Formats: sequence, structure tokens, C-alpha cells
Amino acid sequence: MGSSLPAKEANLFKVIVKSYETKQYKKGLKAADSILKKFPEHGETLSMKGLTLNCMDRKSEAYELVRRGLKNDLKSHVCWHVYGLLYRSDREYREAIKCYRNALRIDPDNIEILRDLSLLQAQMRDLSGFVETRQQLLTLKPNHRMNWIGFAVSHHLSSNSSKAIEVLEAYEGTLEDDYPPENERYEHGEMLLYKISLLEECGMLDRALQEMHKMESKIVDKLSFREQMACILLKLGRFEEAEKIYRSLLFMNPDNYKYLIAVQKCLGLYSENGHYSADDVERLSALYKSLKEEYSWSSAVKRIPLDFLEGEKFQEAADNYVRPLLTKGVPSLFSDLSPLYEHPGKANILEQLFLKLEDSIRTSGCFPGSSQMEPPSTLMWTLLLVSQHYDRRSQYDIALDKIDEAILHTPTVIDLYSIKGNILQHAGNFSAAAALADEARSMDLADRYLNSECVMQMLQADQVGLAEKTAVLFTKDGDQHNNLHDMQCMWYELASGESYFRQGDLGRALKNFLAVEKHYTDMTEDQFDFHSYCLRKMTLRAYVSMLKFQDRLHAHEYFHKAAAGAIRCYMKLHDSPLKSSAEENDELSKLPAAQRKKLRQKQKKAEARAKREAEEKQEDETTSTNSSKSGKKQQARPVDLDPHGEKLVQVEDPLAEATKYLKLLQNNSSDSLETHILSFELNMRKQKVLLAFQAVKQLIKLDENNPDSHRSLIRFFHRINNLPAPGTDSEKLIWNVLEAERPDLRQLHGKSLVEVNINFLEKHNASLTHRAAAAEMMYLLEPDKKLQAIKLIEDSTNNTASGNGVLGPIKEWGIQDCIDVHKLLDTVFADQDVANRWKVRCAEYFPCSTYFEGVKSAITAHIPGSTSESSPENGDVPSPQAKLEGDTHSLNGTVHVVDDLSNLSMR
Amino acid sequence: MVCIRQATIDDLLAMQACNLMCLPENYQMKYYFYHMLSWPQLLFVAEDYGGRIVGYVLAKMEEDPSEPCHGHITSLAVLRSHRKLGLATKLMSAAQAAMDQVFGAEYVSLHVRRSNRAAFNLYTSTLGYQIHDIEAKYYADGEDAYDMRKMLRQPVPKKHHHHHHAGGGCCSHDAPAAAAGSSPSSASPEKKAES
Repeated sequence: MGSSLPAKEANLFKVIVKSYETKQYKKGLKAADSILKKFPEHGETLSMKGLTLNCMDRKSEAYELVRRGLKNDLKSHVCWHVYGLLYRSDREYREAIKCYRNALRIDPDNIEILRDLSLLQAQMRDLSGFVETRQQLLTLKPNHRMNWIGFAVSHHLSSNSSKAIEVLEAYEGTLEDDYPPENERYEHGEMLLYKISLLEECGMLDRALQEMHKMESKIVDKLSFREQMACILLKLGRFEEAEKIYRSLLFMNPDNYKYLIAVQKCLGLYSENGHYSADDVERLSALYKSLKEEYSWSSAVKRIPLDFLEGEKFQEAADNYVRPLLTKGVPSLFSDLSPLYEHPGKANILEQLFLKLEDSIRTSGCFPGSSQMEPPSTLMWTLLLVSQHYDRRSQYDIALDKIDEAILHTPTVIDLYSIKGNILQHAGNFSAAAALADEARSMDLADRYLNSECVMQMLQADQVGLAEKTAVLFTKDGDQHNNLHDMQCMWYELASGESYFRQGDLGRALKNFLAVEKHYTDMTEDQFDFHSYCLRKMTLRAYVSMLKFQDRLHAHEYFHKAAAGAIRCYMKLHDSPLKSSAEENDELSKLPAAQRKKLRQKQKKAEARAKREAEEKQEDETTSTNSSKSGKKQQARPVDLDPHGEKLVQVEDPLAEATKYLKLLQNNSSDSLETHILSFELNMRKQKVLLAFQAVKQLIKLDENNPDSHRSLIRFFHRINNLPAPGTDSEKLIWNVLEAERPDLRQLHGKSLVEVNINFLEKHNASLTHRAAAAEMMYLLEPDKKLQAIKLIEDSTNNTASGNGVLGPIKEWGIQDCIDVHKLLDTVFADQDVANRWKVRCAEYFPCSTYFEGVKSAITAHIPGSTSESSPENGDVPSPQAKLEGDTHSLNGTVHVVDDLSNLSMR
Repeated sequence: MVCIRQATIDDLLAMQACNLMCLPENYQMKYYFYHMLSWPQLLFVAEDYGGRIVGYVLAKMEEDPSEPCHGHITSLAVLRSHRKLGLATKLMSAAQAAMDQVFGAEYVSLHVRRSNRAAFNLYTSTLGYQIHDIEAKYYADGEDAYDMRKMLRQPVPKKHHHHHHAGGGCCSHDAPAAAAGSSPSSASPEKKAES
């Protein structure tokens, strides 16, 4: 380093390095320039100057200088190292690894470079390289704790846990008996717990236990210690000992389900699927009865029995469970009970119970069989519960009646309004739902939760502009207008993207979906700093689980939705490309010359204005962020030159873009039907016959009864059957593969596609969505049977679902399925009359639906400006029809975030 | 009803979503990673019966060697839909106990907006915090924060754990500005070009 320089310059060179480390870049630059004045081609100085400029945001100069420096001194490890650092700063990790390797060829024992290399190897999961580098580091500096730990972790990551244990034990062998000193107790304890978890992972349970007994006094995290010991004892079948520990854990935290399940396991009373014999139910009841006495303050021990009890016992337990919560007024009561609706029969029991409670409170002011007068609020909370029950059962009219009555009873309870908004959303009136959510928001402007729910409803109602204005009320950061993106607010970006997609604004839709994708890229990047940090902090269990979390990061639901959304946008772009400028010119040319000229001038002016505004905005942001006292962002963000995604939609090959995201879905969400549906759609467009066939096979494997699986199967072979005979060799090859595979598809065995379709229909004759799929395929295979296909759909009956409710029949059909069928009739069958007939029919089923223009959909909730004093002018009896304007709301706290997003399906 | 348990790495995205849903002070994922990878014992979540995260506490140890060893609540939130279950109290108690038992904290501190009466009452009447100081214009919108503290044990003469440091918030919540400085990137200086 600087070795070839005379003493004065060699000292200056040290100044450059020092300045770089202390971030005094200007000083470093000055030193570099004074060396270069005398030795203009000195390689290492050129490199260091480049690295310094890189930190001053002068990227292109930086690369030029670093490369020139390297060319002048190929034998310098400094030049190679600097080149690697430059690549690393741009996240070009593979290139950086190459540079470090070159540097190490020249200076194999350079600790600094080895350490940098090991970080990149961990980041890129080059695990064998990581082990190798960590071994070198340990060999060179065995007196550093971090090198032992790093070596052990590298073995663990390469699936060699027993070697990792050996390394840790060798490290322990280097310690004095009285280790650790007071200030290292936490770190040492973490190391020991890590080692114990490795022993457990290898199945060396007895040794793990021995180790725990031996080291107990050195482990400060007693909670982890006891949890791990109980878990190992359970695995060893030492149930009594395990149970004892779990009960002591319960004493400290009786609200942790894990402990309760573990106690059940210790007693041989646990079943994955929740099915228990009558005998087991007896014993479970007894267990929870005793637990209830012991941990009377635990809500979990009261709730869990509702899962395994049935019939009368269930009813009795539910009754006892619900009453005190209604008296207290717990807004989440319904969401707590809602998983029970999946259990056969329990919904009906709950309905009877709730109505009985409502009736009793209403008439006597007490719960049935009690003489204790309830406070007035109990009726309101009971009405809310009943309302949410009917919402859950899709009986929206009754749900709305009940919630209106609750609002009338106590107009000041905000939750009622947001819950009413949710009911309206489910019933198909999105704008009324948004109006109600806005009403709820206006009742407590300081509550961001109400704001978020409102924004969600507005986006669902495609009021994107209003949604943004509302969201921004909480997202100003100093002078920065909106930091939702910076704060990685993904539900917002997804819901915006989906709304733009519905409205056909593909540019803005893509912009939002890709923003979410970017957050995931950033999260992958986030792990970089922790590779060295955690080895120092010794939080090794957390570190290894973080790496595993990163490895499956792209399987996360938000990423899945964003990628699926982007793929759909790109396919749409492919199907109906934007007008090219030539076409636009063509249209222009039809205008009279004078008008054309005017238009062109107008366009130019608009462009100039947009550019000016962007620049001004940038300036604003630069100054404002610098002055903002938070000092959070040192550098001004570059202006977004494409805020509306106009450039995104001009992509040359949309299908190639879509393929990038499809690959991520295939690698990370291969058990999702949607992944393979998208793969099918995309590969059919790309004429990739075999890949489309793969998708069909996956769909059939995952769920052969799914209507979309069926559609793909039929569409695929229909296309194949209609292709001309194979001409080229590769076509023949594909043909042969398909011929060889076809017999493997059970569905096709010796049957024509028409027969396959009929079989599918017969099998699922009672289901609307299956009938619609069969009808669509019938029309595809035999276009002359169009009328018959339509009849198939129109003859579907909306049966009463099993378990008639007390207050009227529950119909089977869901609103979204009916909308899909309408779109099918309207577009694929392209028959306006039939589509209208369908609409009229569905308007009966869904009177609140704005899509079907049901009788109650026109009354859009709500009169702007009528805020909280919107007391319903509908006298005393809330008649559902009049009401909407009172405001209504309903949202049971629970449904929202995640659930609502998952409803935003895009078609 | 709602399960209170230690958070795992798989909870962090849901914790971030819960934070963005309820509170004006937000943090990037890296800051959640930083907490989880520094003091994994100090993060707790409230999980409802359907498995959804409806509340969390994000806490840390302050690691300024010039101060006595103490913990800090970075952020605490419970969804409005899940109030009246005592979740905030349970989450706070769990985090405080871990600070005491695992890290030997003498006291715990937090910031809360002056206007947030509900949170202020929770801290003072239910949890036993006292106002230690007022930080003028602590929050990005110019609002002041109460700097509140609760003793966990009698001060032990001169027995410091070494710990680190950063800013926090909760139904109180640390202003994110304070948060930004404390990621490990700032702790691990850029690698230098040579040894």
C-alpha cells in the first residue's frame, strides 16, 4: 500500500486511507491529488481516489479511476480490493467476489480482505466458499472469538451441525473456567443456547439435556432455557417432567397457546386436525376445567374448549364465554369466535344462542336465567355480535338492520360505523362502504387505524385520488409530502395497484406492484450488515433464523400478490399494446392541419412544464431534506422521472418482463394454484407449448376439481389438436413428448375433450363456478352449442346452503362468483340480453350490490358533510331501506387488513 | 382469545404492517431486523385466534456506557379492533420482565406524545411510569414527547452491562429519526481498503 512511493507521499497515502475510513472525503481527495501531481499514474492512489469519489456520488469517475489504477498496478492487492469494494457498493456481489479472489491471490493472508470476502459469501449463500474462508480466518487469528464462532456458523449453514458443535466445543476449551466476565454473560449464554439448539437439531437430545444442566448458571435467558428444556423432554417422551415445566411457564404467561398445546401433548391429548374421541373430549374438558381454576385470569383456557366441545356442551360453554365479554364490551368478540364457523354445525348453535341473548336483554334487561341487570351497553354489543354473525353468513340485510339498531342505540361508538362499512363492502356497495369508513375516520381524526381502514375502503371503491389525500394526513414527514413508499407500506401499494389495474391504468398499476417488489429486494439487501454484526453480538440463533427467513422471503404473501399483479399487467400490455406513436400520428393526420399544429404545440408545452416541475420538486426536496432536523436522509433522493409508470408500459417485450416475475413465483410459491394459472396463461401467449403443458400438469396435480384447472386442461389440448401437423424437427419433438405424456393424464383416458368436459360437469353439477367453466369450454369446443352452453349457466339454481338460518335461508352463491359469470356472459359469450337477464337475477340476490344495480345500491350511503350528527331521521324503527344515510358501518375490526386485501382479486 | 408470545423473525413483516396500520411513527424493515438480531428476547406479539398479529412491542437496551443499564420501548401498538383485552399491558409486562431478567435493566424508558391521553394513562396508572422529562418537538410534526421512566430494580452500584443505543417510541413511539441512526450499518464502519 503506497509502498512504491517516497516517504512523504507514502504518508499522504495513509492520509487518504484514514480519511476514507473516517468519511472525510474532501481531505482524502486533496491528499490523493497531491500525490497524483507528482506520480500521475500511481495505481493505488488512482484507485483510492476513485473509491473516495464513489462515496461522494461521482460514480462514473469512480469506476474510471479505479479501473485505470488497476491497469497501472495489476499486481496490487489494494487495487483489486478497491475494485471489489466498488462493486460491492453497487450490490454487484458476484463481481466483487471475483475481485477479492484476485486480491487474495496476491496477498493470501490478508485478514481484511478475507473478512470482506466471507461477508459476500454469506450474503450470496456461497456456503462452501464461506466455510473455506472462515477456516482461513480462524487459522490466521485463532485468538479472536469471532473467528471461532464464524467458523462454527459456516458449518451449520452448510448443513454440518455436528462439525459446528465440535468447533464450538473446541472454542470453549480455550476459555478459563470462570469465563465469562460479568459484561459478557449475555453473549456467552447466547452461544451456549445456540450450541444446545444445534445438539437438538442433530437429534442428540440426551447430550443437549446434560449440557443444559451443566451450563444452567451461565445462561441468562431463562425463558428460552426453560422452553428449550421442556421441548427436549417432550421429544424424549419424559412427559411428566416436561409437563411440570410447561405448567410453570403457564404460570408466568397463561396466554401463550403454545404452552397449552404442549401440556395437552404431554398428556397424550393432542391431535393435529382437532378431531378427538368422546373419551378424549371428556379428559380435555376436565383438563381445561382445572386449568381454569388455576389460571383464572387466562382468556386462552376459556376459549380453547370451544374448539373441541360439540353440541349442547358447546352451546353451554359458548354461552358462558360470551356473556361477560358482552357485558364488558369487547369489540373483537366476533373475530375471536369466527374460526368456529368452519366447524360443522357450530354456526347454527351460535345463531340460536345469540338470538336468545338478544331477545332476553331486550325484553328483561338480563341474560337468560339471570336476575342481574345488564348495563344498557350490553344490548348494543349484543346487536353488534348478531350483526357480524349475519354478515359472516352473507345475510347482509339482516346484518344491516341489526347494526343500524346498534347505531341508533349508541350513536357515539365509532367501531359500529366502520363495521357497518365492512358489511356494505361484503354486500357489494363499495362507495357506501368508503363513505362510512370516512365517517368513522372523521369521528376521531387522531386515530390512524380509522384512517387506514378508510383508505382501504376508498381504494376498494377505486377512489384512488381521495385515498391518497386521506392517507397523507398521517404520512407527512417534515416537508416530505408522502413517505408511504419509504416506510414500505405494502398493503397500500398493493391495493392502489389493484385499483389502477381494475381501472385499466396499467402504468400506475405496474408502478405500484414493482414498488412492492423493490421492498423485497431491499429486505434481501438489509441482511448484509448483519453478517458481521451478529457474530459480534452473538445473537446466533436469531441470526441463523434470519438467514432462513431470507431464503424464503419471496414466498411471502405481499410479494406473491405484487408479482402476480405485475404479470397480469404485462400480459394485458401484450394483448392490447399501447398505441405506437406512428398510429398516433396517423390519427393526428386526420385532423385539419391547423388543429394538428395546435395539438402538437400543446403537447410540447405540457412536456416542458412537466420537466420543469420535476426539477423544481427535486430542488425542493433537496433543500427540505437537508434542513429537516431528522437528518434521516442525507442524500436527496433522485427525482422519480416516471411517477405515473408511463415508461414502464412502453417496455419492448412485456412477456419477457412477466417471465422474470413468474420465475420468482415458481421458485417460491409452487404450491399456489395461481402461480400455475399465470404460468399457463403466459406460456400460451409465448407459444411455449411444453412449459404451458407443465403448468397444466401442476394444476391438475394441485386440484383437478378447480374450474381453472379444468379450463387450462381443455384449452391446452384444444389448442394442440388444432395445430397444423408438426413441420420442423423441434415441433416433432414437442409433439412426441406430448404424445408420450398424454396417457398419464387420467382425465383424458381414451376420451374426447367434449367427453372430458361433460364428465367434469356431471361431477360438479350443483356448483355455479363449475357449471360456468364447463359452459365456457363447451362453447370453445363446439361453438354451435352456444345456446346450450348459455342455458347451462342460466339453469343453475341458487340453492339454500345447508343449515337454514333462523331468520331466513342462506343462499349458496357468492357475489364475486356471480360477477365473474356476468363478465363471462358479457364478454366471452358476448350476449347482452343474456348478460342483462343474469344481472337482473343477481340484483335480487344482492340488493346492495352496485355492480348489479340492486334496489338498495342506489341509496349511496351518505351524504357528505353529514358527519357524526347524522342521526338517522328514520324515526324509531330503523327500517333497513331508509337507513343507509344514517351511516352505517360495520367493520368488525378483524376483517380488515389482510382479509380485505386478499379479497381484491383481479380478473 | 389472544396469544401473547415472544416474536420470531417470521412475525416481523406482520409487526411492520400492524405498526403502519395504527401509528404515525413508522420504521423500515431493517430497523425491525436490527431489534430482532440485537435483543431477540425483547420483542413480543399478540396473535389472535386466527393467527393474525394484532399487537406488538418492540423494545431494546440502551447501550450508552455513560448511563446506567436500562431498556427502552421503541414502539408499542395494538389494533383498535382489539382494545379492551389488556393486550398492551400484557405486552409491556412481558418486555419489561425480559429486560430485567435477561439484561439486568435498572429501569425502562419510553416516549409518548403529549396529546396521547390514552397511552399516557396506561403508562402512568396501569404500568407505573413517571414523567422524567419533556422533549420539545420530538416528533416530526412538531409535537412534544414525554420522556417517561419506570424503575425495574434498585440501582445496583456500578454494574453496567455493556449495551448499545438508539431511539424508541410507543403508543408511544420513537420518532423514526432517532431510529435511523442506530442500524448496524452505522455501527460497522465501512470496511477499509487495507489492513
